[in-house]
Amino acid sequence: MKKTINWKFTLILLTVGFMTAVQYNSMKNPKERDTRDIWAVRHELAVEKQLHSELLSEIRELDKTIFTYKSLNDENTGKALTETVDKLYSQAGMTNIQGTGIIIKVKPSAESEAFGIPVTDVSPDLLTRFVNEINRFKGLILEIDGKRFTTLSSIRDINGITTVNGLNVSTPPVSMKIISPSFKDSEKLYSYLAASTIHDDFYIDNLILEVGKPERFVEIHGSPEMFENQFLKELPKGE
Amino acid sequence: MTMWLPLLGLILGISLGLLSDIQIPQEYGNYLSIAVLAALDTLFGGIRAHLQQVYDDRVFVSGFFFNIALAACLAFLGVHLGVDLYLAAVFAFGVRLFQNIAIIRRILLAKWTERSKASDTNPSE
Repeated sequence: MKKTINWKFTLILLTVGFMTAVQYNSMKNPKERDTRDIWAVRHELAVEKQLHSELLSEIRELDKTIFTYKSLNDENTGKALTETVDKLYSQAGMTNIQGTGIIIKVKPSAESEAFGIPVTDVSPDLLTRFVNEINRFKGLILEIDGKRFTTLSSIRDINGITTVNGLNVSTPPVSMKIISPSFKDSEKLYSYLAASTIHDDFYIDNLILEVGKPERFVEIHGSPEMFENQFLKELPKGE
Repeated sequence: MTMWLPLLGLILGISLGLLSDIQIPQEYGNYLSIAVLAALDTLFGGIRAHLQQVYDDRVFVSGFFFNIALAACLAFLGVHLGVDLYLAAVFAFGVRLFQNIAIIRRILLAKWTERSKASDTNPSE
């Protein structure tokens, strides 16, 4: 008799435990309903497709490098390696670059000058916002007040002064240079910036953004700083 | 020893439910929650009956399933009538759950005091 009671209790408790766990699961992560319409799905598809094509072009680039390495004989290997190193240097922003681009000037607004409002620095937040805004375009090379801005660069507030890569950004007027892959891209960027709402953000800080017309020749200096390599170590040469 | 088997069942059930990662749709969440409550009510009722020595197998098992079904039906009816009838079931089961637990507590307390009295009068044990 005792045994049957135990068995039934066990079975019932098993059911109770199972039900409680299922309820807990359902409460914890309720199934999300897919409320996207066809355009939202298409948009997501477009984003994925873009990523796909970007990856493909990257692969193509790397394949080309591999092909160069393979096709070279021993004498030219050194040359190929130097070329790669040079390419990496320019990617890291250590070399001077010339190309088509636009020059943007940040100036105090006419109203603030008329009222005699003291000119303030471009705040780090605003500068970051600006950089984000132009980063919608791919392959741009940017220089802020003579400081090369790369993916590794930082915009920070150090003791109340806006800095790029730890170097002070001077009080406006400040000029920024952007080099685009082609003249057409420069024109596109120019049109985009002309219509962008970023002007309003600058105007709140009593600054105006003067976007220059696309130019055929803009030069950006390389960053003089060397990178500190903390984590990568050279492997000992094989036998 | 007698305690371990049901406890093992409970742990097994919970882990089974958590590991299988079964989720029920939001619409049926009410039904399951009330079913869980009914099951808990029956369970504590069973324990109480067992302690009071009036435990009956058939009453226990039939009560378990009948209560769950009744609660689910009530919730279903409530949804269709636009009245939150499942709250009635929640209330009823909740009250009974507390009563049952209180009775179980009293019985266990009485047993415990009896035992300690017996050990007091019989220190050689």
